Amino acid sequence: MIAARPLSIAALVAMAAAARAQGAATADEFVRLEPVLQAAIARAAPFVVTIETFGGTRRVEGKEGPMDGEGPPMPRPKPPEKEPPPEPEEDSRKPKKPLVAGGFQQAQGRTTGVVLTADGWVLVSRFALALDPTTVLVTVPDRGTFHGTRAGEDTSRGIALVKIAARDLPVPKFVHPNDVAVGQWAFALGRTFASDGPTVHLGVVSAKHRLHGRALQVDAYTSPANYGGPVVDLDGHVIGIAVPLSPSGRNAGVEWYDSGIGFATTIADIGPLLARMQEGQVLQRGWLGVQLSSEWLGPGAKISGTPKDGPAAQAGLRKGDIVEKIDTVEVQNGPHFQVLIGSRLGGDQVTVTVRRKDGDIEVVGPLTLADAPWSEQQQQRGAELPATFPVPEQPERR
Amino acid sequence: MKTTIAALLLGVALPAQTVDFGKAYSFAERAPRTQTERAIDALLPSIVKIHGASGLQTISAFASGVLVTAQGHVLTIDQIMLQPGRTRVVLYDGSVHEAQLLPPDDRLGVRLLKIDPKLVTAELRPLWPAAPTPFRTGQFVVSLGNCFRLAEFSEKVSATFGVVVGRADTALRYRMTNVAYDGDVILTDACNNPGHQGGGLFALDGRWLGLNMKLLESKETNTMLSAAIPVADLLPYLDEQVHGKPRPSPVAKTEPAWFGVQLFEQAGRQSPPAYVERVVAGSPAATLGLRNDDLIVRFDEFSIRTCREYRDVLARFRPGQRIKVMWKRGTEVMNGEVDLVAEPRR
Repeated sequence: MIAARPLSIAALVAMAAAARAQGAATADEFVRLEPVLQAAIARAAPFVVTIETFGGTRRVEGKEGPMDGEGPPMPRPKPPEKEPPPEPEEDSRKPKKPLVAGGFQQAQGRTTGVVLTADGWVLVSRFALALDPTTVLVTVPDRGTFHGTRAGEDTSRGIALVKIAARDLPVPKFVHPNDVAVGQWAFALGRTFASDGPTVHLGVVSAKHRLHGRALQVDAYTSPANYGGPVVDLDGHVIGIAVPLSPSGRNAGVEWYDSGIGFATTIADIGPLLARMQEGQVLQRGWLGVQLSSEWLGPGAKISGTPKDGPAAQAGLRKGDIVEKIDTVEVQNGPHFQVLIGSRLGGDQVTVTVRRKDGDIEVVGPLTLADAPWSEQQQQRGAELPATFPVPEQPERR
Repeated sequence: MKTTIAALLLGVALPAQTVDFGKAYSFAERAPRTQTERAIDALLPSIVKIHGASGLQTISAFASGVLVTAQGHVLTIDQIMLQPGRTRVVLYDGSVHEAQLLPPDDRLGVRLLKIDPKLVTAELRPLWPAAPTPFRTGQFVVSLGNCFRLAEFSEKVSATFGVVVGRADTALRYRMTNVAYDGDVILTDACNNPGHQGGGLFALDGRWLGLNMKLLESKETNTMLSAAIPVADLLPYLDEQVHGKPRPSPVAKTEPAWFGVQLFEQAGRQSPPAYVERVVAGSPAATLGLRNDDLIVRFDEFSIRTCREYRDVLARFRPGQRIKVMWKRGTEVMNGEVDLVAEPRR
């Protein structure tokens, strides 16, 4: 797996070799980079925290666990008499088979988080909470271990908030995505395996505005060990949070791990969402409920269908309408439309300007985006996990 | 990392040169120019390729080694199929020799091989670990080894480039499989592919930092990490085998340590978190003030996520040892220290 990973350093060494012909950079540049990198790690170290989870499983039995912080399970759960009958297919959108194959359990381990505010809000990856743990512990370097209370999540960005009872925590400086350039250094920090500080993996920013503007793409190694950890620049400032995401919006896992493709949620848009997440809201990707004609190349995006229960249908958008504007932005074509809608969340409001079949221009809305149907499924326990790193199930020993 | 500095240099030099299949491949290579190039150039003669008996499924039959003495001692990882009479060492110049097997160190998972001292010519540069070499997270490193048996005959082993990812101690990596070694290891992202193990991990100035281990597999996340055993930890074994210096024998096993709680657990189900069901009066747990329904989360630096892990971790301690215990009561995280005892006889 590791052998297959095209590493940024490999590229850099290759570039260095090429550049050497012109008397430019050599691998010795790395020697000079070393103290800069170590200073960046030292600056970031105080706000990189360890997340440990206890309890919670892939709920094959659909049993409720104990409530957070309420003590042990009461009463003692009884083992099922027999396998529960398969659930009837209520919803055709439901995955047809479990995403974690039988005989495997979802990998679970220590993972990483970032202090967000001095008064105890900690940002973690949804991966950390994939198994719906009953207890979350957050260890802040030099400050001790705290009980973490789960708050809201943004499923579209793969992040979640946890609150700890601590004050005066060290907070990072966040870099706005506008100030990030492709090719700049990006170091993914974690706090899982190493005992003498955060772990570090090197890379560069591979692309910006990925996944409809929600994430940076980096080639630094991201894995369950550093999901939730910061991706920092040479100054130790945070340019993103490593999260398991993939273009399908579904689970990223072993198939993406070690591929040289990692995603880091940018922080710029977390600010406005913070209040909603602090209240405990689970934010989903927004859904307008239109299908677009792939034959229509623009200008605008041509609607080829509107599912009955979607916000678009209810607001009167129809097949054949051409979307000319989303809010004040002129829509160039279908892909542009998707970028404009794809970064929104359920509950967000948009105004849609359409040209009807008869040429009339009509402003529809503001209408409220629904939660995307697949992200509702993500919420269903055991249906879809934010990331899968299946490990072989081991028989219990006593 | 697959792309290697050595390969790059060869790749540049290859087209213009004639290949002499005489004693060895002969490429007129340009002289190293940078510190890193010089370091690699100086280190390559110390690295050997090792071929064992045919491999078995997960155990490969090839590895790398480091020539550590002029008497012909070669240090390698003991996790490949090595058999007396069937173990071959390929030296820097491409010559192939039979190696004698010296006793391994089972705790480190390493073993010395020995070749005829006469073979250790001036060209080869035995590399004895100097004084313990410090390493730091974020330090750039070069790893040398014969990954995937790519280097044949006198072809040079591969150099992979990376950084020290961190130092992992036992408590943090005890859930990782397939490692005999119990001490701190150097984590790196300079790749250890099969065959690379037994080679060396070096600072860019050529200082020897560690011996490449087999890939570490994390049981809990199903991910893999490259790692190396710090050279300082190899010295006692080397001194014993090469210089005959005796070293302290490992601590003899004693009776198991006892904490004195009964956990809330059911057989047959996935092991649940370590909730306390009963605290035995007069036990270390009682001394700490543990109560029914507390959740035990840590012994020293070992995190305990399940009842099974509670038992595994407790088994690492001995009666009389003082341990730090962390537990959770409601939303409060509590800490204490206590001496473990042997289980009282009834």
